[in-house]
Amino acid sequence: MQILAQLIVSGIAVGMIYGVIAFGYQLTFATSETLNFGQGEALMLGSLVGLTVVAVTGYWLMLPIVLAFGLLQGAVVERLGVRQAIKTKSESGWIMATIALGIIFKNMAENIWGRDALKFPSPLPETPLSFMGVNVLPMELVIVVGALGLMLAVEAFNRKSIYGKAVVATAADRDAAGLMGINTSVVITFSYALSSMTAAFAGVLVAPVTLTGASMGGVLGLKAFSVAIIGGLSSGMGVVVGGLILGITETLTGFYLSTGYKDVPGLVLLLLVLSLKPAGLFGRTAIKKV
Amino acid sequence: MRKLLGLAGVAALVAFPFVFTSPYYLHLMVVVAIFSIVTLGLDIVFGYTGEVSLGHAALFGVGAYTAGVLAFQLDWGFWAALPLGVLVAAGFGAILALPALRVTGPYLAMVTLAFGTIIAILVNEMTFLTNGPLGISLTKPFFADLREQLPWLEMSRPRMRDVEYYYVVIACLLAVLVVISRLLGSRFGRAFEALRDSPIASDCMGVSVYRHKVLAFVLSAGFAGLAGVLFTYSEQYIAPNNFSFDLSIQFLLAVTMGGRKSRVGPILGATIVVFLPNLLADIDLFRLVASGIAAVAVVAGVVSAIRTPGNRLRAAVPVALCLAFFGFSLWLKAITDYKLTVFGLMILFVVYYLPDGIYGLLRQGLARLQRRGGKAVAPSSAWTAPPVLDANRPLLEVRGVVMQFGGLRALDRVDLTVLPGTVHGLIGPNGSGKSTMMNVLTGIYVPTAGEVRLEGASIAGWKSPEIAAAGIARTFQNVQLFGELTLLENILVGLNHTYRSGVAEVGLGLPRARREEAAARARAMGLLHFVGLDALADEEARNLPYGKQRLLEIARALALDPKLLLLDEPAAGLTAPDIVVLMDIIRKIREHGITQILIEHHMDVVMALCDQVSVLDFGQKIAEGKPAEVQADPKVIAAYLGGDHAEAAHAEG
Amino acid sequence: MRAHQFMLTLAATTMLAGVASAQPIKVGLTGPYTGGSASMGVSMRDGAKLAVAEINKAGGVLGRPLLLVERDDEAKNEVGVQIAQELINKEQVVATLGFINTGVALASQRFYQEAEIPVLNNVATGSLITQQFLPPKEKANYVFRFAANDLIQSAMIVDEAITRRGFKAPAILADSTNYGQLGREDLERALGKKGVKPVAVEKFNIGDTDMTAQLLRAKEANADVVLTYGIGPELAQIANGMAKLGWKRPLIGSWTLSMATFIDNAGPNGDGASMPETFIQVPNTPKRKAFIEAYQAAYKVDRMPSPVSAAQGYDSVYVLAAAITQAKSTDGAKIRTALENLTAKVEGVVTNYDHPFTATDHESVTANMPVFGLVKGGRVVPAHDEDVAGANALRLKSK
Repeated sequence: MQILAQLIVSGIAVGMIYGVIAFGYQLTFATSETLNFGQGEALMLGSLVGLTVVAVTGYWLMLPIVLAFGLLQGAVVERLGVRQAIKTKSESGWIMATIALGIIFKNMAENIWGRDALKFPSPLPETPLSFMGVNVLPMELVIVVGALGLMLAVEAFNRKSIYGKAVVATAADRDAAGLMGINTSVVITFSYALSSMTAAFAGVLVAPVTLTGASMGGVLGLKAFSVAIIGGLSSGMGVVVGGLILGITETLTGFYLSTGYKDVPGLVLLLLVLSLKPAGLFGRTAIKKV
Repeated sequence: MRKLLGLAGVAALVAFPFVFTSPYYLHLMVVVAIFSIVTLGLDIVFGYTGEVSLGHAALFGVGAYTAGVLAFQLDWGFWAALPLGVLVAAGFGAILALPALRVTGPYLAMVTLAFGTIIAILVNEMTFLTNGPLGISLTKPFFADLREQLPWLEMSRPRMRDVEYYYVVIACLLAVLVVISRLLGSRFGRAFEALRDSPIASDCMGVSVYRHKVLAFVLSAGFAGLAGVLFTYSEQYIAPNNFSFDLSIQFLLAVTMGGRKSRVGPILGATIVVFLPNLLADIDLFRLVASGIAAVAVVAGVVSAIRTPGNRLRAAVPVALCLAFFGFSLWLKAITDYKLTVFGLMILFVVYYLPDGIYGLLRQGLARLQRRGGKAVAPSSAWTAPPVLDANRPLLEVRGVVMQFGGLRALDRVDLTVLPGTVHGLIGPNGSGKSTMMNVLTGIYVPTAGEVRLEGASIAGWKSPEIAAAGIARTFQNVQLFGELTLLENILVGLNHTYRSGVAEVGLGLPRARREEAAARARAMGLLHFVGLDALADEEARNLPYGKQRLLEIARALALDPKLLLLDEPAAGLTAPDIVVLMDIIRKIREHGITQILIEHHMDVVMALCDQVSVLDFGQKIAEGKPAEVQADPKVIAAYLGGDHAEAAHAEG
Repeated sequence: MRAHQFMLTLAATTMLAGVASAQPIKVGLTGPYTGGSASMGVSMRDGAKLAVAEINKAGGVLGRPLLLVERDDEAKNEVGVQIAQELINKEQVVATLGFINTGVALASQRFYQEAEIPVLNNVATGSLITQQFLPPKEKANYVFRFAANDLIQSAMIVDEAITRRGFKAPAILADSTNYGQLGREDLERALGKKGVKPVAVEKFNIGDTDMTAQLLRAKEANADVVLTYGIGPELAQIANGMAKLGWKRPLIGSWTLSMATFIDNAGPNGDGASMPETFIQVPNTPKRKAFIEAYQAAYKVDRMPSPVSAAQGYDSVYVLAAAITQAKSTDGAKIRTALENLTAKVEGVVTNYDHPFTATDHESVTANMPVFGLVKGGRVVPAHDEDVAGANALRLKSK
């Protein structure tokens, strides 16, 4: 029982990381039906920039700087990689372009920060807290709280602000929103900026636990991608649940089945979800219009 | 001209080992050929059906491991591995395509990615079968020792073996080229493109989107499997990490860079991808190539600036970028550290400025020199024998159909009876449920309740392709043509039902397949002639003016040999002269015994053509009868006035 | 092609104009300089470059300078294969140094063997590497090694854990690459010889950040020591994961536990981890002192990223140079013969090479040579006092 609890707790911490990155996919998909295949690299850049800044400012002051950097980086991705593809309605252009940008960002990071995994100083003590025999790092609690907090903040922003209304309108019908005087391309750029911002934030959140480095983005980005699909690209709630499902499945499979097949059930789950409910567990199914 | 170039290419490939005696270049060419087979196959999925596959490295790996495992566990050789590798990979392709039933776009990309990851894990974990991470070693097959017969060859045994194997791979590549060209030039290739451009229209033309998507994946996987087998015997050592996600990306990039929807493009792309690591390993070579690119860009820029003076600024940007790239190459001291950046920049450049790839650019240039002209086809009759129908038995019976979307009832217990040989009008204000009715009749929506019978057989709940095969064809309110296909090809998609030959027959180019294709082309010309578009047969459909697009849709629907033709606002957006042509066409269709349901807002058209008119309002049928009766019905007038004044005025006039 | 070869030659000759006007001797240098195992590749490269610079400064070999043709194999098998062919057929190297990753070595070496060009493996440890082309099946074996192979390492790890330190219930944690899995097999075999069965055998992937499941399984099996086969970042996650679960057991594993990525990222959690090492950054012989200082000066670092890789890379160049001198030729077969019958004594960093290879033995490192290193305060120090100085400091190959 205690072991099960420990596995679930670890699974939750991992799952929240997946969830918060997947949340970024969902943001851009809502406005433009595209997503950033370099999301993992956005996370990596955020965390490495954070590593550089943290030495000067300390952990908490570093956060707003990294958030600002994330906003900027996302806007650059949209401007360079996605806008052209949206304009020409090219289906694969944005996939290729965001992959290419991801490759470039990673290579640049390798040249700036080196190719090795680096230690990210933890702002909190690294001795585990123990609750009834279940151990958890203080930083893992921060990950869960921080990820939820950030997602709630972005959701609230989307619901309450005029920008949020524009996002909803753009998501519903890009052409109509454009006719109503909404500058949809600004909305899309901004959604990319927000998306990279969440990724950068996730980066500095997880780095003290996972290590940082130029290659940290790849695996996390892919895992989060499957989380976004499991949960549904149209639902913010979905990615949280999807992340938790995947994270917990992984640790449970690892312990009870075999650590070699740890990733398989998650992927099988993904395929099941896609063949049974393609819009994701929490996604809405659209009615075909002819 | 094309044939000549092709022959020259084959001759060059055959002569290659005698010109370049270095095993290094020989091996590179083998890898290029193997990758070309994968990318040519990938192009079926990526270029033609428009789906992004991130799992092709895994399919390639399945083929490779089939060969490896057969050799390792059973000691079976090359010739057994070749067909089995293709079959096993094709089987995996089918499994991969199963979830494709319901997903597309990024979702499908994710399916392929997950599939690829699972395969990679299985290959790594199933040590008892695949020898796990240790990998499998085997030796190149040795076919015939001709050194004594051909002493002037002066070959050592290993070189002999390499050269022989080179020819085997080249033979496979050429065979793949021929088969793929035949398949993609046939109804299958057209179906793949059709389902990309408009899945709904494909289904309604009897071309099942699902079946063809699976077919595309199976074919594509089969080619990847073939390449995999060849790869195993070329490298003589395979390990699970050969077939990573990165490789899938490289395949996609090869197709994108080279140019989609062509034979030359994927081969060009594969060549670039294979040679790129060499290019990016050596700073001098890299500078040389960068300067070459810059020079070509400058020349091309100057030429285009002279040709189209208005476009100078836009043309200047890529030229400047190429020059900057050359500057970057001079600035770099060592290339290794920045090679991925260079790689990424190249992809971005292609996405931005060469959306059709390098071959797309070349083709544009060639097209200017040489007008694209299809072979002239003599039209045959547009019509087959008219359907024999009992004039008193209703062709279509709709009983109490309900269509519910959440809280909205789009159709509310609607009855409809359509007699054979008539033109049945379906009118009503916007949002009254007319188009919903069309979608129910063609299987796009499954009605919540009620009966739909065609010649007495219940078709409610059937899928669109089945209904199309049963004899209901349609046009669409918002035109759904296959934009990147020519007019002739659009019609040929509709004629899909006239073919009996399967994939194998088409791939091998057997007589029946050729005969059917010739017959279908002649008939398609006949149909184009019928709607007056035969002069534009080789134009791409997306380049047609709106009015002509509507006519093309009608011709395409007629290609199905329908018993019942549904026309959804065919006159919308048409000019007055076009409408006259349209009315004439509808009359002629009736003369050929084809029953029609006509949704239309132009009341003069409805009044002039229809034998019977039903009126819908808020999902309910409010009137039915002869046009004149309906027009006088106060309920109908109220519906139109209550709905939309302009519409009512139109109805009055 | 010709123009670029010309430019290359031009560059090489102008660079080395001071050394000799003769044509340089080209030596291939292949390893991952990008990606996860780059720190080993780059250290190996830098060590080798250091040796080449010294040799050229002293007049080169056979009166000709050495020229390293560096290629990044990205730790990818297929890239390694292409590079092998390029180096052999296009660059026409006389020998190739390198290989960090066992899989790349296994995939690429065939081409050198066929071309009869010696390969001097200086980092990759897979036991199979030198066994691929054994006579009498092949005419001669062209693959040599300067690293402690996995058989040696696994035996040492097991010896240390079971015999010396008396643990009874080992758990094995290995990554899912062929490095980890081949090492795991060797570990299990070595344990079997001592009649011990591991209580848990677990796997992890490159890039895994959470080791809870693996560690809990080991914990549930009541393991008293954890034996590892993996690379730096994931090993650090194991150490950190132990700290998190409050389940601290000694870590003993392959030499990768000395990677900077393990030491830095595990921090205090990594202290006490021990591993067999052919070279520890301790200046306990004059040659070692000179090498460490030269490396630090040339690459402006205090701690070498991977001292073992650097030292083995450095030594392999000197042994190759001695073989070419002895062969008086750059012909591959002659160099191979010279390597197998090397008469000159080569003073190296790892050891002094006195007849390091024979026709049947292509391993320069024997089981008696590596010493146990211990992570302590961010550095690797000798684990056992007797290894630091005296007779045990420099160990020679046992005959």
